[in-house]
Amino acid sequence: MLAQVLAIIIFLAMFLLIILEIWERQWITLACGLLTLLLVFGLGMHSMGAIMRTLNLQSFFTTGFWYAAGESSEASSGINWQTIIFIAGMMIMVEGMAKVGFFRWLCMEIAKMVKYQVIPIFMTFMLLSFVLAMFIDSITVILFLAAVTIELSQLLEFDPVPMILSEIFCANLGGSATMCGDPPNIIIGTSLGYSFTDFITNTGLMAVVSLVFVVIYFYFAFRKELKKSGANKKDHASYPDPKEAITDKRGFIASCIIFLCAVVLLVSHAQTGLTVSTIGVAIALITLIVAGKDAVELLKKVDYKTLLFFVGLFVVVSGLEETGVLKILAGFIGSVSGGNIAVMIAIIIIVSAVASAFIDNIPFAATMIPVITDLASDVAGVNLTVLAWALAIGTDIGGSATPIGASANVVGIATAAREGHIIKWGKYCKYMAPATIIVVAISLAMIYVRYL
Amino acid sequence: MEKQLIISVGREFGSGGHEVAQKLADDYGIALYDHDLLKEIAAKKNLKSEDLEAYDELKWNRFLYRTVRGLNSSPEQNVANLQFDFLKEKAKSGESFVVVGRCSETILREYESMVSIFIRGDKPQKAERIMKYYNMNEKDALGFMKEKDKRRKQYHNRYCPIAWGDSRNYDLVVNSSRVGVDGCVEQVKHYIDLVRKYHK
Repeated sequence: MLAQVLAIIIFLAMFLLIILEIWERQWITLACGLLTLLLVFGLGMHSMGAIMRTLNLQSFFTTGFWYAAGESSEASSGINWQTIIFIAGMMIMVEGMAKVGFFRWLCMEIAKMVKYQVIPIFMTFMLLSFVLAMFIDSITVILFLAAVTIELSQLLEFDPVPMILSEIFCANLGGSATMCGDPPNIIIGTSLGYSFTDFITNTGLMAVVSLVFVVIYFYFAFRKELKKSGANKKDHASYPDPKEAITDKRGFIASCIIFLCAVVLLVSHAQTGLTVSTIGVAIALITLIVAGKDAVELLKKVDYKTLLFFVGLFVVVSGLEETGVLKILAGFIGSVSGGNIAVMIAIIIIVSAVASAFIDNIPFAATMIPVITDLASDVAGVNLTVLAWALAIGTDIGGSATPIGASANVVGIATAAREGHIIKWGKYCKYMAPATIIVVAISLAMIYVRYL
Repeated sequence: MEKQLIISVGREFGSGGHEVAQKLADDYGIALYDHDLLKEIAAKKNLKSEDLEAYDELKWNRFLYRTVRGLNSSPEQNVANLQFDFLKEKAKSGESFVVVGRCSETILREYESMVSIFIRGDKPQKAERIMKYYNMNEKDALGFMKEKDKRRKQYHNRYCPIAWGDSRNYDLVVNSSRVGVDGCVEQVKHYIDLVRKYHK
């Protein structure tokens, strides 16, 4: 009982402190993680075993951590090192791509391809945002897309806000389509042993169908504002040449090849047996070797704060898991739904979406994984896979509804605001909340039709 | 070329600090940057100034906004940063100016040409000034003063390591209730003369 109370207090304190931003979030989760080890596992449970399971260092020395041919890796608890290593590897690759100008070149090339016309840029940038976010973290995608959108808005004299909002939404939607698109998906995939193909054929399908409706929705929502632009007043020759964005031609070609290799490795990892941690290490090593003397610079640019945030977070969530708090939560959801799978799915997708709209979806997803695992094992006839897709879509998409729901939203809004384009809560929610509801409704309907 | 002069004026609400700043700008024949600074920024960026002015000198709400990779989504912080960048650009260009508030004594600290002053006042005199200026009764004036100073303090302390009104933050702190607005102007000008003489 003492351990459970301590675990809940630490967990709630962590959430509150993350929201208040008094200290950087990685120090908050690490400090709360340390308190979990000392107070929950030490003082409350007197369990060295719980500490070892949570630190999960032994997982590095198992074959399944690096190679899992022919079978899904086992569900694991504690620090999810696979997620951390994969994200670190992707960060190095993305830094390498950014350094050589890949993202700016791609955005500018597409703008040129559609002859610098505002509506076609609006449509293609939504698609670009979706596709890039399937493989690259949505923060990086929006960082570059929003910056280029503002640059184009100054050239073509249009309001960049509608375009940035739609790009943010599509980045979050694209992230939901694959296992590596959004951190909750990586955590769900690695924790429950799902493959890239599992995600693309389930959440991916929901995301693509939703994308069609979302593009139509945003077109009708913003068409008047975008048509007001003073586009095409200038000679196209005066616009920046996309090639100017490339800072190192050899590095650029190498980055493109590494990116394509990463995509191929991820798409085929169920067949090759390579785990996401192996893929993360491989692409990081190749990027660093190709970067040569710039390798140190790339390593310095890695977002270590986020990686440390994950470490602390997993420990705190393990506190809830080891003490059985999450089992109680699962039991509560099971009794509220009366064992009815349809109600259970609706609760998971809606609660995940609403919670993710206001709190960080990463801790939420990490907390909910043991909950859905318990639900599937305790309630007869409940398929864990279906609950996992409901959780993934709910956490990935819910974050789009409010300005604080997902990191991509914050980055997009901040990039616009730095140039004086203020996006208020009211304006943001007016356009993004209905789009979120549309996607949640479509996903819920698709889950019901397909799995029940 | 005339030597650069930047005067940063911090002020308590009702102390007449803005009037002091205006008179200093007039006397030295240099620009005054106050809340109108946002109009200039808006015009430069082809934006509506009202959209920016709504967030001028305000503290952001921690529950409504987040920071990711150093990027903050709050309008208040971004409007503040736009002004900080504007002032830094002006200072870097060598322009002389008077600036009211906007954490200028901290963000322009590296400029030797900057003189920072803080105009304070005694409560009765400040209230009297507010009553006259805003046509209010004493109770409302005191409430208004408290609210405005609280906001300025929160805004300032969000971006600056030394607290708003702390004498260590300024070259000179003058009580306008003791010497009046003109007395403050005289004091500041005398101080600037001394600084210039000392650094000749």
